[in-house]
Amino acid sequence: MRALAFAWRSLVRQPARTALGVLGVAAVGALLFDMLLLSDGLVTSMRDVLDRTGFDIRVTATGELPRGGSRIPNASAVLKTFAALPEVERVMAIRFADGTVGVAPRSRTSVENDARPPYDTVSVQAVDGDAPYPWTVLRGRDVSGLNEVVVNEAMAQDLGVALGASLPLRPQCLSRSEVLPPTTVRVVGIVEFPLALGDFIVGSAMATLDAACGGNSSDEAEAMLVRATGDVDVAATALARARPDLRPMTNAQVLGRLQRTGFTYFQQISAVLTTVTLAFALLLITVLLTVSVNQRVGEIAALRALGLSRARVVADVLCESLLIVGFGGLLSLPLGFALAQGLDRILKDMPGIPSAMHFFVFQPQALAWHGGLLALTAFIAALYPMRLVAGLPIATTLRNEVTS
Amino acid sequence: MTSTPATPIVRADRVTRAFAMASGPVIAVRDVSLAIDAGDYLAVRGPSGCGKSTLLHMLGCVDTPSEGTLEFEGRDVAKLSDRERSLLRLRAIGFVFQRFFLLPMLTAAENVELPQSEAGVGRRDRQARTRELLDYVGLAARADHRPSQLSGGEMQRVAIARALANKPRLLLADEPTGELDQTTGEHIAELLDRVNADGTALVIVTHDHTLASRARRVVTLRDGQVESDQAR
Repeated sequence: MRALAFAWRSLVRQPARTALGVLGVAAVGALLFDMLLLSDGLVTSMRDVLDRTGFDIRVTATGELPRGGSRIPNASAVLKTFAALPEVERVMAIRFADGTVGVAPRSRTSVENDARPPYDTVSVQAVDGDAPYPWTVLRGRDVSGLNEVVVNEAMAQDLGVALGASLPLRPQCLSRSEVLPPTTVRVVGIVEFPLALGDFIVGSAMATLDAACGGNSSDEAEAMLVRATGDVDVAATALARARPDLRPMTNAQVLGRLQRTGFTYFQQISAVLTTVTLAFALLLITVLLTVSVNQRVGEIAALRALGLSRARVVADVLCESLLIVGFGGLLSLPLGFALAQGLDRILKDMPGIPSAMHFFVFQPQALAWHGGLLALTAFIAALYPMRLVAGLPIATTLRNEVTS
Repeated sequence: MTSTPATPIVRADRVTRAFAMASGPVIAVRDVSLAIDAGDYLAVRGPSGCGKSTLLHMLGCVDTPSEGTLEFEGRDVAKLSDRERSLLRLRAIGFVFQRFFLLPMLTAAENVELPQSEAGVGRRDRQARTRELLDYVGLAARADHRPSQLSGGEMQRVAIARALANKPRLLLADEPTGELDQTTGEHIAELLDRVNADGTALVIVTHDHTLASRARRVVTLRDGQVESDQAR
């Protein structure tokens, strides 16, 4: 009987201890898996979101991320300058504004009817440039004319905004305190805004926003979104040469900045929790195996007296550890997935998180790390009990077993 | 090295075994010389704590003398590595313990197969040998029973079958009837007689005068030393 089969029998012999070990490793393994998904999840998700917008470079006035710094002045001229560059395939100006929309009372639920104001706060994304725009049409069509807007799914669902509906829109064009008369816009599509912040989002052409502002806005953009014809870095250099006062950032540079700043916290939390969970797994397995070995020293000494080698009895202990961690690790994967989905929902409810962002994103290398770390844990956890078995004095143990 | 008729299976030459204790060294076996030839049947007697089990452990190569020389088939045991001693025990020595030490998660047959598996015996051969041994000890019908389903006498029979699994030249039994009632102990003693009659050298450590009297040679220890060595 080989060491693995022997270890399996030993585990089956003590079902309660084995179940405790496997469930403990499953719980710890699930947390470990989630921490591994979290450590790169935001970066992976952000990369995906940036790629889905269809643009390679973001140009801003100060190098800050859009909405984080000053706007680009004379946006129309900048748009033309960039569009003329051979390194640029297409370019789009984007401006954000807060605002409110009026929703007919019949579209609200009876519970909310009295509790909510007649206007709901929205975030407006206005774009200037040729379609496709930086959102994905889910139903209806994209904006093509003045006073046409698209809205996100949450707005359609929660506010009961249907395709073809007319909405009174009041944007805040220059300051939060201004109150402009509403402009009626028509909803032509339900879309997904990958990088949108806020619950309710309205997308429109820049001309629509300018019209709603009634001339109370200037020719500014939060950012220029650029798609390169070829090499992205070459295009970024060309943009910087064309307008040295502006700061182009490739998607990779945006990701790099986020990794160095905002995402660092999640990676640090992930690293700390990964270490803690592994330490728990290590202690759990070490204690279980040590107790098991101490209960069986007589048997082990007898096996050694019968000629089983030191390496063989040590291998038995290692195989027990690997089996407990192996089964626990397998069980931890569905648990980890379920837990990740729940945690992702909770974290995505935090304010300021783009709708398409995810905190826990599966990647094959997370699975490899999970397996590798658990295997390493199984080995390290088995070191002490293996040492006990390897150093077991056969004659003394046999004598003690008889006299005890 | 193979044994020749002139070479004893095991030869102890003035062996002493001392244990380091907090209160000073305790000498369990002192200056014992002994030779066991093929086919011998030896009983080691003496009061508790006289060094019987310690001597048995040295004869079985699970312990080495502090002084003196112990040779197994002409090889100095002290000069063998742990792995070499394990192989020696696996292939040439069988152990029967007072508390049986059968593995509770294995069936009787699997307990008997285990040393053969370790020795690299093929599956078909070891299954045949296991059937033969369980039949030899009268437990062919209990091959698939676990130790918890066996009586004390049956467990000791399985333990004897396990000790014989790799056809050892020397079988060592430490109080083999110590946990059994008189009748069952008698049956185990008869089985051990048969093992010796079939050619395996046998050394029994026992308190039991009746069991010791079955041996052809009785060594009596007192305070770790040989008090008497009588052939019968």
